[in-house]
Amino acid sequence: MRAYVLSRLAQTALVVFLSLTAVFAMVRLSGDPVLLFMPMDIQAKDVNEFRERLGFNDPLPVQYARFVGGAVRGDFGESLRYRRDALGLVLERLPATFLLAGTALLLTLFVAVPLGIVSAVRRNTLLDHVGTVATVLAQATPGFWLGLMLIYLFSVHLRWLPTGGTGTVAHLIMPSVVLAAFFSARIARLTRSAVLEVLGEEYILTARAKGLGEGRVIGKHTLRNSAIPIVTLAGLEAGQILGGAVITETIFAWPGLGRLTVQALLNRDFPVVLAAVFFISVMYTLVNLAVDLLYGWLDPRVRLRA
Amino acid sequence: MKDLKAWLGIGLTAAAIVAAVLAPWLAPHDPMKADFVQSLKPPGSPAHLLGTDQLGRDLLARVLYGARLALFIGVCTVLLTALFGGLLGLVAGFVERWPSAVLMRIADVQLSFPFILLAMTINAIVGLGLQNIILSLSAAGWVVYARVVRGEVLSVKQRDYVQAAAALGMSRSRLLFRHVLPNVAPSIIVVASLQFSSFIVAEAAISFLGFGIQPPTPAWGSMLSESRDFLYVAWWLAAFPGAALALTALGVNLLGDWLRDTLDPKLRV
Repeated sequence: MRAYVLSRLAQTALVVFLSLTAVFAMVRLSGDPVLLFMPMDIQAKDVNEFRERLGFNDPLPVQYARFVGGAVRGDFGESLRYRRDALGLVLERLPATFLLAGTALLLTLFVAVPLGIVSAVRRNTLLDHVGTVATVLAQATPGFWLGLMLIYLFSVHLRWLPTGGTGTVAHLIMPSVVLAAFFSARIARLTRSAVLEVLGEEYILTARAKGLGEGRVIGKHTLRNSAIPIVTLAGLEAGQILGGAVITETIFAWPGLGRLTVQALLNRDFPVVLAAVFFISVMYTLVNLAVDLLYGWLDPRVRLRA
Repeated sequence: MKDLKAWLGIGLTAAAIVAAVLAPWLAPHDPMKADFVQSLKPPGSPAHLLGTDQLGRDLLARVLYGARLALFIGVCTVLLTALFGGLLGLVAGFVERWPSAVLMRIADVQLSFPFILLAMTINAIVGLGLQNIILSLSAAGWVVYARVVRGEVLSVKQRDYVQAAAALGMSRSRLLFRHVLPNVAPSIIVVASLQFSSFIVAEAAISFLGFGIQPPTPAWGSMLSESRDFLYVAWWLAAFPGAALALTALGVNLLGDWLRDTLDPKLRV
């Protein structure tokens, strides 16, 4: 078990390193970062001074070595726009993103999983059909459009909720609902099919035949056995929620990592882009590792090997 | 219920294709022509069925031309990713040694990012515009095919008829294209149909965030982006392009589900 975790962590480190290298290469191949960042009418002397100060005049391998050396110590350089430590900017935004993504994930689990279970147990009833239609619709609705429509309904029309920003629980409602909507749809669909599959197993028939109450058959025998595909997808989705957060945070002016990344990309503030990419890929791979470790606990038949 | 979903999928997809192909004939006005006298007319105005935007451009015309752009981008991206990813997956599955290992490492790196963020980052770096958005989406999306196809090839390769053909001395390339490829093709088609809607939604999201297709080009994403400034006065500017996008995505999703159930029910994507 320990060997497995260690080798997975080593793999994670390799993947993160390779992805940083790829982004660094793409950024540098795309053109002169200083010219891209600076206004058009700047003096050549100023450009050169700026370049010298940030080390863009050195040969590429030197810049790369310095970048890697800095990155392992958590130093991604100074933000071109804010003139501050890029990593500091990213860390500052993390709590807001965790709050939003965590709320959305909880919302997803508390709405989608029960919905999927009920749809499966009450298969082919009106409730199941309504649930299916709702999930199919939610899956096709782009989050940013749903966000705009909710802002129109609840902020412009009814004036119940703020259009964006942060501070109170009211600010959290729309962004987390938008972020949860898409993922809920997928999780609900998968929960339904996973529960249906388990309900057809012989041990469920046995459990019923020996006179076990329906509550125990569903609550104990069925749910635990259908948990594996649900956890797998939830883990994959937990990572994708970070991608969804990029869009949701921008619509609702939520001061998180996603919005910082979009702004840094728009401003061509590459130290911040690199720091953000680093964090997102670390979090994403760690979530996937955590999911794999969960399997062993959910299903003792799964043996994790290095 | 199943038939209903399939027919709805076919109907919506067909409607989107008709809108895209016949946009120049269906559109009542030029989608780019500004007419300030007619600006921000609500839907149901005599000459403008879906109303007009802040510059007085006809919204119906813009939504129809948006279908053209969205489907064009979707088709190009799906073809590129299927060709490129499919071919790599085929080779990696067939020649197991190092090509397979290299491919899987590249896939791991790509999969350590959320798809939309990866496509957006690539797009911000390679630049804006139609060609670059297709390129960015393809560069971010090919991995799915490569992985699915590789997995399928690994299992098809073990089947008796392939082994038999190899034993008879058939050349490797002939084996690959005559026996393996036709048996992997259904899963490529299914993945393509399921990826299609995620590509057009991703394109719209990326354009919405300020990359990709820029205004005044009538793309659904950039139209939605512009509509944010007018949400208080003109809800229709946000409602119709978004509804068009959602309905197209819905149609293609339903069609994809139906294709999967028909062609390859075991496939998980």
